[in-house]
Amino acid sequence: MKIPMRWLKEYTEIDMPAAEYARRMIMTGTAVEGWENTARFTNVVVGRVKTCQMHPDSDHLHVCTVDVGAGEDLQVVCGAPNVAAGQLVCCALEGAVLPGGTIKRGRIRGVESCGMLCSGPELDVPDSLYPHCGDKGIIVLNEEYPLGTPAQDVFGLGDDVIEYEILANRPDCLSVWGIARETASVLGGHFVMPEIGYKETGKGTFSDYAAVRVEDEVNCPRYCAKIVSNVKIGPSPKWMREYLHGAGMRSINNIVDITNFVMLETGHPMHAFDLSKVKDSTIVVRRAHEGEVLKTLDGKEHVLNPSMLVIADSENATGLAGIMGGEESEIVSDTASVLFECAAFERGNNRVTARTLGIRTESSGRFEKGVCAETCMKALDRACMLVEMLSCGEIVPGAFDFYPHPAPKKVVTADVNRICRRIGVDVPAETMEDILLSLNIDTEVSGDTLTCEIPAYRQDIEGEADISEEVLRMYGYEHIPSTLMTGETMPGFRNEKQSFATGIKKTLVGMGFFEAQSFSFISPAWLQKLGLSDDDWRMKPVEIRNPLGEDTSVMRTTLVPSMLNALALNMNRGNESARLMEVSPVFHPGAEGELPEEHPWLIIGMYGDGADFYALKRAVMCLCAKYGLTPDVQPGGDGYYHPGRKAEISIRGGSVKLGQMGEIHPLTAEKFELSERAYVAQIDVQALRTCQAEIGAVKPLPKFPAVSRDLALVVDEAIGAGDLLRVIERAAGKLCEGVKLFDVYRGERLGEGKKSLAFTIWFRSPDHTLTEQEISAAMDKILAAASKNAGAVIRA
Amino acid sequence: MQQIINKICERALSELKGVSDSKSLDELRVRILGKKGELTGILRSMGQVSAELRPKIGQWVNEARETIENALAEAQKQIARRELEQRLESEKLDVTLPVQDRSEGSLHPMSLVLETLLDIFTGMGFEAVEGPEVEYDHFNFELMNIPKNHPARDAQDTFYVDDNIVLRTHTSPVQARIMTTRKPPIRIVSFGRVYRADEADATHSPVFHQLEGLVIDENVSMGDLKGTLDTFAKRLYGEGVTTRFRPSFFPFTEPSAEVDLTCAACRGKGCRVCKGTGWIEVLGAGMVNPKVLEMCGIDSKKYSGFAFGMGVERLTNLKYNVPDMRYLYENDMRFLKQFRG
Repeated sequence: MKIPMRWLKEYTEIDMPAAEYARRMIMTGTAVEGWENTARFTNVVVGRVKTCQMHPDSDHLHVCTVDVGAGEDLQVVCGAPNVAAGQLVCCALEGAVLPGGTIKRGRIRGVESCGMLCSGPELDVPDSLYPHCGDKGIIVLNEEYPLGTPAQDVFGLGDDVIEYEILANRPDCLSVWGIARETASVLGGHFVMPEIGYKETGKGTFSDYAAVRVEDEVNCPRYCAKIVSNVKIGPSPKWMREYLHGAGMRSINNIVDITNFVMLETGHPMHAFDLSKVKDSTIVVRRAHEGEVLKTLDGKEHVLNPSMLVIADSENATGLAGIMGGEESEIVSDTASVLFECAAFERGNNRVTARTLGIRTESSGRFEKGVCAETCMKALDRACMLVEMLSCGEIVPGAFDFYPHPAPKKVVTADVNRICRRIGVDVPAETMEDILLSLNIDTEVSGDTLTCEIPAYRQDIEGEADISEEVLRMYGYEHIPSTLMTGETMPGFRNEKQSFATGIKKTLVGMGFFEAQSFSFISPAWLQKLGLSDDDWRMKPVEIRNPLGEDTSVMRTTLVPSMLNALALNMNRGNESARLMEVSPVFHPGAEGELPEEHPWLIIGMYGDGADFYALKRAVMCLCAKYGLTPDVQPGGDGYYHPGRKAEISIRGGSVKLGQMGEIHPLTAEKFELSERAYVAQIDVQALRTCQAEIGAVKPLPKFPAVSRDLALVVDEAIGAGDLLRVIERAAGKLCEGVKLFDVYRGERLGEGKKSLAFTIWFRSPDHTLTEQEISAAMDKILAAASKNAGAVIRA
Repeated sequence: MQQIINKICERALSELKGVSDSKSLDELRVRILGKKGELTGILRSMGQVSAELRPKIGQWVNEARETIENALAEAQKQIARRELEQRLESEKLDVTLPVQDRSEGSLHPMSLVLETLLDIFTGMGFEAVEGPEVEYDHFNFELMNIPKNHPARDAQDTFYVDDNIVLRTHTSPVQARIMTTRKPPIRIVSFGRVYRADEADATHSPVFHQLEGLVIDENVSMGDLKGTLDTFAKRLYGEGVTTRFRPSFFPFTEPSAEVDLTCAACRGKGCRVCKGTGWIEVLGAGMVNPKVLEMCGIDSKKYSGFAFGMGVERLTNLKYNVPDMRYLYENDMRFLKQFRG
């Protein structure tokens, strides 16, 4: 919220530069975002055009002499069509800084020019601040000013405008009075409310002009109205336009400006109805009918529902209560009688309606944060006073005031010692009392008990904790000591799950992978691209009701699309290779109304230098080895993998599935714009964690020598080397210490569709040196098993 | 006889000078000292010599043998040294030949920062806890004293799954879950991903990370909060770094504070990073609102607590000066490779 300093100073003293003022306010809890001067220019003064002749070398430029009250007249070349001798104008002097740049002395088509005559846009002065200043060419001043008067004085600019960020708990500060009151408390000054009074000179009484009926006292706890007759619509006076401009609002006409001015000053949004347009002169505050249509001031049509509160006449809705008026009852130039509304609407209802219809106004913004019902009448009186001051109408005696349940006085008690313990600062009871009094909180101290009467506008203060905050912020947060926690010592730790996830990541980092971070929500189209079957659970992700866009609209059920996109991004940006991994949850939809289950998965992706299926498999196997697992890898996996280069990873004889890995199918790669072969593995982190093997007791080192034998077996191509290795391991029996594949050979001599796999097998006994017979027996078993299970024959 | 022996000796020594490799040396050794060698031959012919001369000849031969052996040993040493030098010379490598210079990858910068934060807080006795990212409105908002249609919800534009389920907007619901299931004393840090409906740009991301702390015990004060955060600040940025508390508002704390840390870039002198103020806004904090305690079933008369929270992205940007928030989620290798750890 923006407030011109000058406006604030009407109600309290501020004798310090804006920077110091901002600091004091910030350190007591009123956030100040910044401040800026309303004048966007310097060194522009009032001058009179004494002569004005055509430029000798141009058909549209004029050469003027301008008296700026400095003794010597200036020669200025001016291109504006409306320039003429005798005019009072704004002349930018040499060195003037305007929004568009700095004014320099120079020659324009051979004629010297020592300044510039300014238009409204050139000074950033809008029509609403100085009427007709942007119409055609330069600003021509209608009033008399001494020559040389700074232009900011003419437009009422040059003031500092402070921009406050009002937090949700202090809606009372969404007004000039609120900020002035807070400023007075902070700076130790006084807040002086204007003396409110006016004469009711209109004929008749309120009821002669209008009737008001409130049908929903829950959503409209208070409704006040006054009538102004003999209205004379016209522009507002300059001072009011200047204040509105400083606060960031446009001047419209005197009556509308008064409602806006009062809203800014008191925090009470107001509305003015043209009574001639209110059917039967009856105002009804009611819920909208289902499907009722209303065209608001901004020309938009809205279809309403019965949860929405409207202001209606005897027939139709004429405005959305507290949000925006209707086009129908807008104040226009021939409006004669006006009904001023100042009401309190329930914030929750107001917020929902504004959200549902997508409207946000200064008014709705205030109502949804909370407007104090107690002071509605005061704001209305202030408006009437301004009507009198501006001579734009006659106030009709009497008012309408619906306020069935006036807010009771709010009294909060607090314990001085508990406050001190809470804030960690020993503040004497008397100091607390002084602080609270400065905040207009009537406080009585009795022993250690504070009894505080909370002003109606402080809706945020409800209990002792709030009182402690008021005391502390005014006493000064800088007095908070730095103390150590007392109480029992507690062990700090990360749980095993957390350490496990970090452990996985660090292991992969050791293998050259970089951790990726990608959004947890993805596009359903990306799931489509994976070509999963429709009944696959991954095709039915948790949907976000109000996503930012389609790309971020469902919670991911697999990490694969995110990884493929990351790989594609790296490829498209010309990065030679990438090795990425991420540990993140995937989301399994829960039952209706229940949370999804979140399961952490690891995804590994790679392409480029050194990336192939076996490099990927190595990473997976090394990771599993870290956790004491040697998983079974078998052909298989989802359809987005290359059919001949994909595998399922499992343990415990396939009973626990760990995940999948493989090269991405060329057709999938195309859909994800992967220009190179890409490899992706995915591991269920929870499965890996729960199956990890502990390192048990250490085995004693062997005392007897090992014996090794090499064995080359010829098998069909279809036989997996790993499978045959397993067969050998199992057949070799207890004496076998290890089996290693050391060669794969294919050649004509072996025959079509055959390959030779060569293994080294180690044997060792813990209690004796093995004999030749023992080893031969084991080798015979191995051969028999290899022959039986894999059709293997010894290579000749 | 002595002359013969001396001659053999002299000849051996002079021949030795011409020997330059261990093979020739061995040949020489065999020729002179071997079983059929010249010196050995003399000893073998001793039978023809008179008995009184024998000891003398034996002595002469032994002296000569010793001299030759010494010389041989010396030559052997030199040859070995020369041969080693030759071998070493022949094995010279081009040490400037490039090799793979990086085998390790790295954690993501945000993980690096988060690891640091978790190390600091677990070291201070905080237990690290996590909770679901898709969360009930009840835990995310209601128990945090942000009822439905409360304006404070505006500050946290929320993604909804349905009327009662949201993508958590902060890690506070984890605190609510702990408070409703455990008894004080409680000392936890919750961390993880949070979501707000902000379009991604240079300074916003709809997905980001938070770390929040919560302490509940008897007699916990705002001073304890400041002490805790002062310790944190020093562990994070070093001695001399402190905190500044400014009044603020959060529905779940009362009193509330925005907490600035001494700018680590200029040590509080004022610089571009801190926009000349000497302070960097890093945390939100405060005393847990008694309403929150009561809603979570904790006796607010007996117990008090403090809570604080910070954005991991913010701290990451401060530490590494990341120019655009989107860098953090693009996973461009050229960005990720700039990190180690």
